[in-house]
Amino acid sequence: MSTVVANTSDAPPLDSLPSARPMTLADLVAGALAEQQQLSAVERFSQWHEHHDASPLQSRHYRSLMPANPPGAGEQYAFDVDLDACSGCKSCVVACHALNGLDKQESWRDVGLLMPADPAAPAVLQYVTTACHHCLEPACASGCPVNAYEKDPVTGIVRHLDDQCFGCTYCTMACPYEAPKYHAGKGIVRKCDMCTHRLADGEAPACVQSCPNEAIRITVVKTEEVRRQCGEGSLAPGAVTSAFTLPTTRFTSAKRDVSKFRPADEGHARPQHAHGALVVMLVLTQAAVGALAAVLAWAWLGGGWSTASGAQFLTGMATLAAMAAVVGVAAATLHLGRPQYAFRALLGVTHSWLSREIVAFGAFMPLAVAIAAAAWAMPYWPVAERLIPPALAAAVGSGLVAIWCSVKIYQFTRRPFWVGANTAAKFFLTAGVLGASVACAGAAWAGEPPSPVRAFAFATFFLTLAKVAFEVSQLRAIALTEQTSLASSAKLLRNALRLTTSWRLALGTMGGIVAPAISLLRASDTTTAWLALLACGLCLAGELLERTLFFQAVVPLKMPGGLPA
Amino acid sequence: MTTSTPPQSVSLAEQIKSLVHQREGRLTRELLLQPGRFGLGKVPAGAAPDATTTAVCGYCATGCGLNLHLQQGVATNLTPSTDYPVNLGMACPKGWEALSALDSPDRATTPLLRDASGQLRPVDWEHALEAFCSQFKAIQAEHGPQSVAFLSTGQIPTEELVMLGSLAKFGMGVIHGDGNTRQCMATAATAYKQSFGFDAPPQTYADFEESDVIFLIGANLCVGHPIMWERVLRNRRGGKVVVVDPRRTETAQAAWKHLAIRPKSDLAFLYGLAHVLIREGWVDREFIDAHTTGFDDFARHVEPFTPEFAAAAAGLDELQLLETAELIHDHERTSFWWTMGVNQSYEGVRTAQAIINLALMTRNIGRPGTGANSITGQCNAMGSRLFSNTTNLLGGRRFEDEGDRRDVADALGIPVERIPSHPSWAYDQIVEGIRTGEIRGLWVIATNPAHTWINQGDTRELLDKLDFLVVQDMYHNTDTARVADLVLPAAGWGEKEGTFINTERRLGLIKKVRRAPGQALADFTIFKLIAAAWGCDELFARWNCPEDVFQSIRDLSRGRPCDIWAITDYRTLDAAGSAQWPCTSEEQLHEPERRLFADGRFYHDDQRAKFLFDPPTPMPEPPDADYPLLLLTGRGAVSQWHTQTRTQKSAVLRKLYPQSIYVEINPADADVASVRTGDRITIESRRGAVTATAIVTAVVQPGQVFIPMHYEATNRLTLPHFDPHSRQPSYKDCAVRLRTSRSRLPK
Repeated sequence: MSTVVANTSDAPPLDSLPSARPMTLADLVAGALAEQQQLSAVERFSQWHEHHDASPLQSRHYRSLMPANPPGAGEQYAFDVDLDACSGCKSCVVACHALNGLDKQESWRDVGLLMPADPAAPAVLQYVTTACHHCLEPACASGCPVNAYEKDPVTGIVRHLDDQCFGCTYCTMACPYEAPKYHAGKGIVRKCDMCTHRLADGEAPACVQSCPNEAIRITVVKTEEVRRQCGEGSLAPGAVTSAFTLPTTRFTSAKRDVSKFRPADEGHARPQHAHGALVVMLVLTQAAVGALAAVLAWAWLGGGWSTASGAQFLTGMATLAAMAAVVGVAAATLHLGRPQYAFRALLGVTHSWLSREIVAFGAFMPLAVAIAAAAWAMPYWPVAERLIPPALAAAVGSGLVAIWCSVKIYQFTRRPFWVGANTAAKFFLTAGVLGASVACAGAAWAGEPPSPVRAFAFATFFLTLAKVAFEVSQLRAIALTEQTSLASSAKLLRNALRLTTSWRLALGTMGGIVAPAISLLRASDTTTAWLALLACGLCLAGELLERTLFFQAVVPLKMPGGLPA
Repeated sequence: MTTSTPPQSVSLAEQIKSLVHQREGRLTRELLLQPGRFGLGKVPAGAAPDATTTAVCGYCATGCGLNLHLQQGVATNLTPSTDYPVNLGMACPKGWEALSALDSPDRATTPLLRDASGQLRPVDWEHALEAFCSQFKAIQAEHGPQSVAFLSTGQIPTEELVMLGSLAKFGMGVIHGDGNTRQCMATAATAYKQSFGFDAPPQTYADFEESDVIFLIGANLCVGHPIMWERVLRNRRGGKVVVVDPRRTETAQAAWKHLAIRPKSDLAFLYGLAHVLIREGWVDREFIDAHTTGFDDFARHVEPFTPEFAAAAAGLDELQLLETAELIHDHERTSFWWTMGVNQSYEGVRTAQAIINLALMTRNIGRPGTGANSITGQCNAMGSRLFSNTTNLLGGRRFEDEGDRRDVADALGIPVERIPSHPSWAYDQIVEGIRTGEIRGLWVIATNPAHTWINQGDTRELLDKLDFLVVQDMYHNTDTARVADLVLPAAGWGEKEGTFINTERRLGLIKKVRRAPGQALADFTIFKLIAAAWGCDELFARWNCPEDVFQSIRDLSRGRPCDIWAITDYRTLDAAGSAQWPCTSEEQLHEPERRLFADGRFYHDDQRAKFLFDPPTPMPEPPDADYPLLLLTGRGAVSQWHTQTRTQKSAVLRKLYPQSIYVEINPADADVASVRTGDRITIESRRGAVTATAIVTAVVQPGQVFIPMHYEATNRLTLPHFDPHSRQPSYKDCAVRLRTSRSRLPK
């Protein structure tokens, strides 16, 4: 009965070597190391586990969690989560990772935590498992500039076309539930597709298959009903109103009124990605528009390029604007995970503010370059002089439209730190501050008379004052209420991002307020020129930091997160 | 996705269209799913298996079956086994991620020896073995053979435990060896031995499903044993879950009733229940008379534990206690389950026996849906309890017993005089032995005492005091390996063969489906090489592979309660899927679920179970004016395992729990200290201090704080005190105080 299975490896077993000489320790070690590398499971055991059965054995556990029939007209698939059954084990998160072959920490499902709003109430740790909600009006798809999202007309599943994605990550900002996840290594976003191909063959999605407590099921929902139910309320405490995207997931609890709960991580926001390329893109493109607008204003107020200093001012400003526009647009491209597909960005122009921004800057940048070229050509090609005014008007017009598109991109996300005037004021004032500041320096260096120099210094002073005051008002939001998103942003600006905030305010104040004030009060021509150049640099640095904070201090819309430790 | 686009004959128009709007391609194909065959359903195409095999999970004692997906013999993925009688197609996150712990850059890939400059440097195996033998032999020569000790584990297969225990005690002349199982279920083992006559948890997991009332005492299944919670939720008899726990855990919240007793009042509470059951006549006198001894003494003992007294001691209403007793009486089947809340206590054995006593006197034993059932921690704690040859002689025998020694000598074919007749010191006594200088050399296998042992600051100082410390582990940078003199690189679960025994006495196989990195070797192989280098290999000549040891385990189990004679070899076990001990017939081999004591016969000579009891005693370090809070420790999240040497290697698991140490504090105490969630605060005991993130929550009662044990710093605070019977440390009761940055004290 004691059938010791023969050692199947090529290496000599520890006890017997055919050689005559006695085994040395070195022989034993060599044999052991070789034997360790031999894998034995298949030969020894696998034959007992051959199931050539095509049907998945696991179906016996999930059959009752699947709908009887596929969706009909006016219906779609949806996740249905029994909050009472979820004990927070998070197997669904890991099974999603394992059964979909995802990378490292990648998973398309997350589990958050709700706790009673009143900490003294009886303790309840209510876990919330969440993935893509396969919305009726998915914000990811609306925002996507390359049409990489499709809502399946039959199943209602919101699918992401990985090969179409160029990695702008805008959907990760647009989705109020953090469903799309960026994969930096691949330069694209990937997301939950409700295991479309499993569902198509009657298999359950990974999360449904793996929940030990049967807390997640797939149901067929009527879209009209979803629309009606999404009218009021949100999916979970702290989540955005469901009226925004009409999510289809249903969370139910017979035991608890979770509306009296708050997310465990509420008020504990962490700094977000700084998006350096976007910072450069936004600030430089706005500076370019501002610079050309300053030239336009100067011309409108009587400035002209018939004088040597006027021509020099125009040429300098146009050149700087063109360079800023080119670098800004190039930076936007570099921000993409797969910049070689940047041209696809035009596809979403009917619905995506990102596409529209690209179209608008696509008009602005060549105009800015053309104006610069015309300015340089003026001495040799007099016609150029006449082309400049309409080109300038067109450039400033398209530039302002482009900035407006930039504003809309961020406002669309409904993140409180980005909605309303928060983005519009910052973006347009950046154009104003930098336009005026550059123009001040440009006019001084071109040898323009003191009045335009002083006018630009004056403009810089007031625009910066307005902008810094606005930003400081955001810092004070912390005093408003304890738990709002804006207060969290203010807390981030004052604590985690304190250093950046301090530098931003210092640079802005020095470059946009103190320096212009000095030059207005008492500076001589030469010092004015140097001071204006310095101020310009300080303002630019300040605006770059402001825009970094714009990204870092935002609190994303999301489902509840975990413990803030 | 089952369709694929052939690349040839694509028109130019389509190519251009695809360039603009590409629906398929390389990136889409990366996430392709394909039928996995082998009954698997769809799997990622890149990891689709050409064969599958099963193995039991290597984390906890639930013992889930995992289906390993193999490509040319190498496991590339896994899914929980659909038909395994433990987990029924489910696994917790740790199980799902079992393979990723093997792929870590922290793996020990070569032996490391501390050189003259104090640096750990790579050496080859011959040098490592030579250092191991010469250092330990020198210590033994100078200070006696008992001056070298070993600390074993519940994480390696039974075969390796047998080989380790035999090598150390029969080959190297070591007297003192214990396991990390001392920290986890020594109390349950001792309680069963004393009460039943053998360390025999009676249950099968089906009892969760078969119960009318499920008592969970000091057990947070939702976090500690989520797959057992799965079985609770599969109860179709309307089973009522009653949780007895000072914390309002996930399990307590989901329960039918939560009895939030005062910490360490469980013994008084359980005696109070017994008092009511006896007073009301709600006991099975017939069963008691036929199958137990000591009941009358016990009845007298619990007389003072009136509902008033016991409820007051436990901080409950009298009515709650009366209703709980009534609940037991009103239902046909009550099962009692306990884990670390009971085991890790300075009076844990008597507490566990108070639970056993309740089951015995109400005849909630030996029937479906009943039992006094301990839930164990580590994957092979049960193998360790029976076969680690540490404080018990192999097979649950005694070193002091000459007959037992002879049995073992006969079974292994070794001279009986090689078997020491001295019992071993327990873990805490070995640690104390280092302090007194009686222990000079220590060999630590697959455990991490520098993190886990109670009163960590002291433990670490003592480890530094050793003349020679050997750590044998999968990872070179565990807290203990970092202070070792010699690190031996070990293969892990999935890289070797053997058997584990789970909480319900179920044997399952682990298999070799991954190549160990570098020069890492299976622990069994390391033991064989050490035996050869030590010069005692002839004692173990019959063991050339783990399965040879398994045959000896069969021999050693013969005629004992844990008899596994019908499991003739690994193939038999594999074909059966798993088997619970005892397993002495073909019929038993193929029974999916089986419980003990259906016949009312226990393992004492008189075949009766014993009622055992003692008066409750106060905790040694209650909160006082200086240290006003009581510290509880325990499991944090499902995705954290013990000292996290393995779970922290998985990127996806790391996402699932707080990365830094945190402390739960009741809102009332937080208010007093002006602490809010997210604040960094310092918790001090008389032994040490840790800084942690505050989580303000009523999960803990006022006056108590809770810190998960997985974080390295936790045991700086804990108080070394032990159960007198089981020597298990009491991790869940010591006095602490808070310090916030606002209330910083002068140095």
